Amino acid sequence: MANGNARNIEYITNFSVLFGQVRLLFFAKSREIVGRKEAELEVVRLTTPRDVLQTLLQEYPGLGEISDNIVLSLNEEYLEIDDQQIVLEAGDELAIIPPISGG
Amino acid sequence: METDVESLRLEIKRKEEELLHLKALLDEKEQISEVHPPGDGSGDKTCEKTDPQKLTNAQIARYSRQLILPELGVQGQLCLLSSKILIVGAGGLGCPAAIYLAAAGVGTIGVVDYDEVEISNLHRQILHTESRVGVHKAQSIAMSCRNLNSDVKVVPYKIQLNSENALPIIKQYDIVLDATDNVATRYLLNDVCVLAGKPLVSGSALRFEGQLTVYNHKGGPCYRCLYPKPPPPETVTNCSDGGVLGVVPGIIGCYQALEAIKIAAKTGSTLNQRLMLFDALDCSSRVIKLRPRQVHCPVCGDSPSITHLIDYEQFCGARATDKDQEKTVLPVNSRVTAKEYQTMVSIGQQHVLLDVRLPVEMDICQLPHPAITLRRDPAAQLEKIKSSTDFSSSVVVVCRRGNDSQLAVKLLQSADPRLDIKDIRGGLHAWARDVDPHFPVY
Repeated sequence: MANGNARNIEYITNFSVLFGQVRLLFFAKSREIVGRKEAELEVVRLTTPRDVLQTLLQEYPGLGEISDNIVLSLNEEYLEIDDQQIVLEAGDELAIIPPISGG
Repeated sequence: METDVESLRLEIKRKEEELLHLKALLDEKEQISEVHPPGDGSGDKTCEKTDPQKLTNAQIARYSRQLILPELGVQGQLCLLSSKILIVGAGGLGCPAAIYLAAAGVGTIGVVDYDEVEISNLHRQILHTESRVGVHKAQSIAMSCRNLNSDVKVVPYKIQLNSENALPIIKQYDIVLDATDNVATRYLLNDVCVLAGKPLVSGSALRFEGQLTVYNHKGGPCYRCLYPKPPPPETVTNCSDGGVLGVVPGIIGCYQALEAIKIAAKTGSTLNQRLMLFDALDCSSRVIKLRPRQVHCPVCGDSPSITHLIDYEQFCGARATDKDQEKTVLPVNSRVTAKEYQTMVSIGQQHVLLDVRLPVEMDICQLPHPAITLRRDPAAQLEKIKSSTDFSSSVVVVCRRGNDSQLAVKLLQSADPRLDIKDIRGGLHAWARDVDPHFPVY
């Protein structure tokens, strides 16, 4: 869970503590661009939402054209892009949610 | 015997047409008598105060199965009967939403749609029928709802909702359903619902996915709180290009009716500040907890900059419709008409035909001349062409409507200027229209 501030960062000394794999869930247009529903992404665990987005866009540059038009959620909760600090756990689910306009 | 059957069929068809005509006439008369259709729905209506009447015996019999639900009860039913709900969009979402609202006994249902029924609508827009092709969709929904429940007043609006007419219409209703198919109308509906103080039950569907939420309700966000910037128009996929399985908007439309019923009957909790994502291929759904209303939101924030409706087509850089627009990317001399292409083929002119549609579309139909097919990767495209043409023969590109083919020509021209390459103007639709009337149109 993203329970950021409670964590003591001094014990973060080895790789698995520093880095982790989150599960990406692509919806709507992002699914079309990436060509799949799910993927894994290696991320720095102590990070900011903006850095997570940056890592995501480096891995999937095609998402750049819709990066201003998406909602991000972490474990089914809205991820505020301007939040200062989050701590990601291996297996956390990061969803990329562009709006659908059809009907 | 066979002629009997045939004459009976004809007789039924004639009667159906007569019935349709009479219903249309009735609608016209009713609309004229409804200059200010459902009265004044403004303000913070509490149905308890405004609705002193009791249920009739007929209503008790009709609604008995939902009346005995303690969460709804007589009070909830009275709320439904006095509520006014507007559905914008009489398509794949609007049809199921309308019929369930009518069935539940919502007092007044408004239906807005400028469009007419087409045969390609019927796989998902399930209230329309073969005999109503060409009839206004709003009218068609009104007919179906009245047939199901004459207790309900249905007001069809055969108009395109815009910045001028939206506020006066929406002010007359308590709850609004966004069942539209384009980005510009979604921003318009969001803003007008914020300005008029109405909850907006928003549904959308494409391919096998659906989204559902309730905006502008109980401290939750509005559409702009989540998506302040409209998407670049070229990144927006409509149902005509992306496809949609009919039952997907069917499910989402039913959810919209459900959310509207709970808001109207003041029961249960709704999807305000929550977004439901539905995936039909996995039959899975997730509910995302959203951010609350944003104090800096330009329309629902504490000091809004949008205090009246704006030009939403300009804001979104796209028309308020999901109809495909014909693009003109190439000069005339880089294009051939379908008839010119037919001539090329019939005189045996040496050429390579490139079909740039998706494989799934190739399965539906293909031009008689053997084509090479291409995926969207430009480098691979060029290599494939180089291996299949000696550059002395010309290249003709075709797609479904003549938009993608122009982009492909442009791409390939820039990759190798030596190519003699043109596209078929209007694509396979033009071929079916101008050359081969038996060619399928999708």
